[in-house]
Amino acid sequence: MFQYDFMQHAFIAGTLIGLMCGITGVFVIARNLSFVAHTLSHIGFAGAAFAAFAGIDPLAGLLLFTLTGAAGIGRLGVRMFRRDASISVVLSVALGLGILFLSLGNVQGNYSSTLLFGSVVGISLQDIWLIVAISSFVLFVLAAGYRWLKFDSFDQTGAQAAGLPIGLISVAFLLLLAVAVSVTVQIVGALLVFALMTVPAAAARFYTHSISGMILFSALIAVLSVWFGLTAGYATNAPVSFFIVLFNAAAYFSGMAFQMLLERRRSAADQSR
Amino acid sequence: MLKKMKVSHLEVSFNGERVLNDLSFQMSAGEMLAVIGPNGAGKSTLLKAILGVLRPQHGTVLLDSGKKRTVIGYVPQSRAIDEETPVSARDFVSLGQVSGFLPWHSASERQTLKDIMAFTDTLCFASKPVGRLSGGERQRAFLAQALVRRPDLLLLDESTASLDPEAQIRVMDLVRRAARDWGVAVIFISHDLHQVEMYADRVLLMARDFSLTGDQETILNDPALLKKAYHSAETRIYPESGDGSRMGDVSFSS
Repeated sequence: MFQYDFMQHAFIAGTLIGLMCGITGVFVIARNLSFVAHTLSHIGFAGAAFAAFAGIDPLAGLLLFTLTGAAGIGRLGVRMFRRDASISVVLSVALGLGILFLSLGNVQGNYSSTLLFGSVVGISLQDIWLIVAISSFVLFVLAAGYRWLKFDSFDQTGAQAAGLPIGLISVAFLLLLAVAVSVTVQIVGALLVFALMTVPAAAARFYTHSISGMILFSALIAVLSVWFGLTAGYATNAPVSFFIVLFNAAAYFSGMAFQMLLERRRSAADQSR
Repeated sequence: MLKKMKVSHLEVSFNGERVLNDLSFQMSAGEMLAVIGPNGAGKSTLLKAILGVLRPQHGTVLLDSGKKRTVIGYVPQSRAIDEETPVSARDFVSLGQVSGFLPWHSASERQTLKDIMAFTDTLCFASKPVGRLSGGERQRAFLAQALVRRPDLLLLDESTASLDPEAQIRVMDLVRRAARDWGVAVIFISHDLHQVEMYADRVLLMARDFSLTGDQETILNDPALLKKAYHSAETRIYPESGDGSRMGDVSFSS
């Protein structure tokens, strides 16, 4: 399958996006932002639909909407935004806007389908360079702010007491998440960003108790899921996203079973003492 | 090391109500100051004002450690620990090592982490998730995280209140060693006057309408003063009780 340019491009883009989502996802999970990530992907859908309506580049529309959304969430306060009602309202409005822009722009059906479910076919070399630039930027910022972000994500009380600017960290992470979501939407679609952004990180928690271990496992699961999705999709002609989700779900439930087994062994060992 | 800490005429309001009013005291390196007083007297507010989380309306908190920034460690009574994210005790303690730009820790940082964990006796459960630690182990891990930053000032907000007596002594002995060996100045809030008697060099008594700093013998051996402090709270909480007979869970040593 690597004789085809589009598959080579899909593997390069998918690997970078998997790496970025896997690493970002650990902080999304630790900060309880899973539904915020999900909401941002829907806001991104509205942004991409707006781009089609306005005749601008889809990524520009995605970034415009997700960054504005992230800034809004940051301003309102993440805690308020975690409420079910707030999320439902924003999700509905974003989807409604997306449908409106698609209708106003007289957009073809396959464009809407690509936005919602993603597409790995037709990633150009130019797209690859853009993905390289954006994912490198996200990973660089994560690495540069790693210690602060890690402290604030895993122990906010301690981070605040240590004098870290927790408000700034929160907004900066939301903006970074918006950028990551915007790139990922193009490949896996608005509906499945959630899967790549949160499931690998959630699964990684079952395999290790160290933060660096979680990052490593999460990135590995995310990248492997993309590779599995592309290979299985190529072989069966079925949607790649389905196989990505399938792999991630398998990693999650295997992890859960692995942890239950460990717990059972531990309690058996405790009882025999 | 903290050369001097001076709190002058501090006034702090919280939710529109003045909680601290004209509070002044001083302390120096290696000193252990116990803050006692009834609920609602503003003890936790004082710690938040020192941490910089709450801004005073009036007065100042001067921290002189001879460094650009005085490092403050803080150990609350409890902390929200996400049981679903099983971070090991070692990782939890190392979260405190925030200075430096590289994502990974240097050899000297790893050594400091090891030393602090040995000091706080947390190495034995280093790979255990924080959510699975006992109350005493958890508080020692919280203390280790505060100490790993090599603080000049350590603030304990009823950090041992939920522990059994043995675990309380274990944690407070560590705090005293940090104060004596490294010169860390310690402010600890406690409702346990026996603990105050054991560990405090000086006592800050905070009531709703007055505050007083003095040697622990002077304050703890003055039942009338203590009664006045706690009684002022009682009469506001239970206005019908005028005889001072309801003293809650506070015990007096005389």
